[in-house]
Amino acid sequence: MFKKNNFIEHSIQGVLSFLKDSIFSEEVALKKGLLQSLDPRIKVLTFLVLLLQVLWLKDVRILMVFYGFCLALSCLSGVRLWFFLKRTWIFIPLFSLFVAIPAIFSFFTPGDAYATFHVGGIKFVITSQGLAVALLFVGRVLTCVSFAVLLSLTTRHFELLKVLRIFKVPQIFVMTLGMCYRYIYLFVEIIEHTYLAIKSRVGVSVHTQKGQRIVAWNIANLWTRSYQLNEDIYRAMLSRGFTGEPFVLNEFKIKTKDWLWVSWVVMVTFLFIFLNAHIKI
Amino acid sequence: MHIPDGYLGPTTCGFFYVAMLPIWTLASRIVKKNLKAKQVPLLAIGAAFSFVIMMFNVPIPGGTTGHAVGGVLVAILLGPWASCIAITVALVIQALLFGDGGITAVGANCFNMAFVLPFAGYYLYKGLSYRAAVDSSRRFIAAGVAGYFGLNIAALLAGVEFGLQPMLHHTTSGQALYCPYGLNVAVLTMVGEHVLVFGWVEAVVTALVVKYLQKHFSEIFEEGEM
Repeated sequence: MFKKNNFIEHSIQGVLSFLKDSIFSEEVALKKGLLQSLDPRIKVLTFLVLLLQVLWLKDVRILMVFYGFCLALSCLSGVRLWFFLKRTWIFIPLFSLFVAIPAIFSFFTPGDAYATFHVGGIKFVITSQGLAVALLFVGRVLTCVSFAVLLSLTTRHFELLKVLRIFKVPQIFVMTLGMCYRYIYLFVEIIEHTYLAIKSRVGVSVHTQKGQRIVAWNIANLWTRSYQLNEDIYRAMLSRGFTGEPFVLNEFKIKTKDWLWVSWVVMVTFLFIFLNAHIKI
Repeated sequence: MHIPDGYLGPTTCGFFYVAMLPIWTLASRIVKKNLKAKQVPLLAIGAAFSFVIMMFNVPIPGGTTGHAVGGVLVAILLGPWASCIAITVALVIQALLFGDGGITAVGANCFNMAFVLPFAGYYLYKGLSYRAAVDSSRRFIAAGVAGYFGLNIAALLAGVEFGLQPMLHHTTSGQALYCPYGLNVAVLTMVGEHVLVFGWVEAVVTALVVKYLQKHFSEIFEEGEM
């Protein structure tokens, strides 16, 4: 959450450009590959099953098999390995690694000593149990994040949001989700342009209090602009036939390939249930 | 504040999905009943707004930056039930499309940030600004206080959820399977960092935005909420 940089420059170069260039471009989802060719409904359901399996795993070796499977799927779907590793390792798993470090020591996880060292007269003991806890924790987070990112990368975003209908999500949520996604892009553009305007007028070095006022003004300004936009959008919706109830077209079709994929996931699931029940932890 | 996949065990994740179901159902009924047709886009705008608030880097003393969650601000602008839907949508988009916050932890994240945070903050704001004039300074001070406490209550809950994991899910020899720290460490860490740093960021942002809106767009506070 903390970064040593100027907030204006950082906002422009950081998350805003990342969102525009990497997320909204849907570059990977438009490629031809294994996961891109699957029906989005089947893909979401099977990925949910895989995620739940990862959540239930108790053995780090099986977890690593799952992670390897995820990497293989990413390669078969035309995702560059280095790009995928960067997307999945940076942020959450790296943060989790730092979170897990204290758990390897005997203060938090007592057990058999694996290594001992002294810092400033204080004895630090790394325990085997602590290492196992940390490895399982980071491995699980990494595998979960990798599956989630792979699903997002290989599916067109509007398809992913439409899929929520099969989970009987109330219409108000589905409709809001679809519209919200488009607004996010618009808002990101507005924020980027506003920050560029501020940068060109006041430079990049701003006093903390002044900076806080600029951010608050930006948030308030964004709200008022969007509030005013609401009327125009409603009129545009009316002119396109909106009657108060949303209507969504269903273009999904399940193919033989999808059934093969489902059979494969079902087999993996049964294998996993068998292994999880027979490995004593 | 966003709980990723793998921090909470399956039972905890399932519990929070079940706990959120009646809240989501009630929220969608109440909002559908009170929502005028022309306010439909406003709900989506509110969701996108609560999403992008987290992208604003707020400068804090020492040359670094933090960011606000904005849950209380959205609740003040939209009302608690509409903000519950808006923040849920923002969290689902973050989890599904951006990999921020876990898919299996959506229930827990929504409980903390789309239910407890806006509701606690909103009613605190309403109580503190009771019968205050639209341009009264009591309003923006109340917004700041509500932002601070709302975020800290949500952080406390997240800490409790983390801290319960070693007790709920462990191996036969007692090793934690998910978040490895007990209540004493998890609650202290989560509450400590939010009480000392992030709560203040939330308070400053919420108060300054409400102050700005009071000064330039006071009609927002007169029109009422969804």
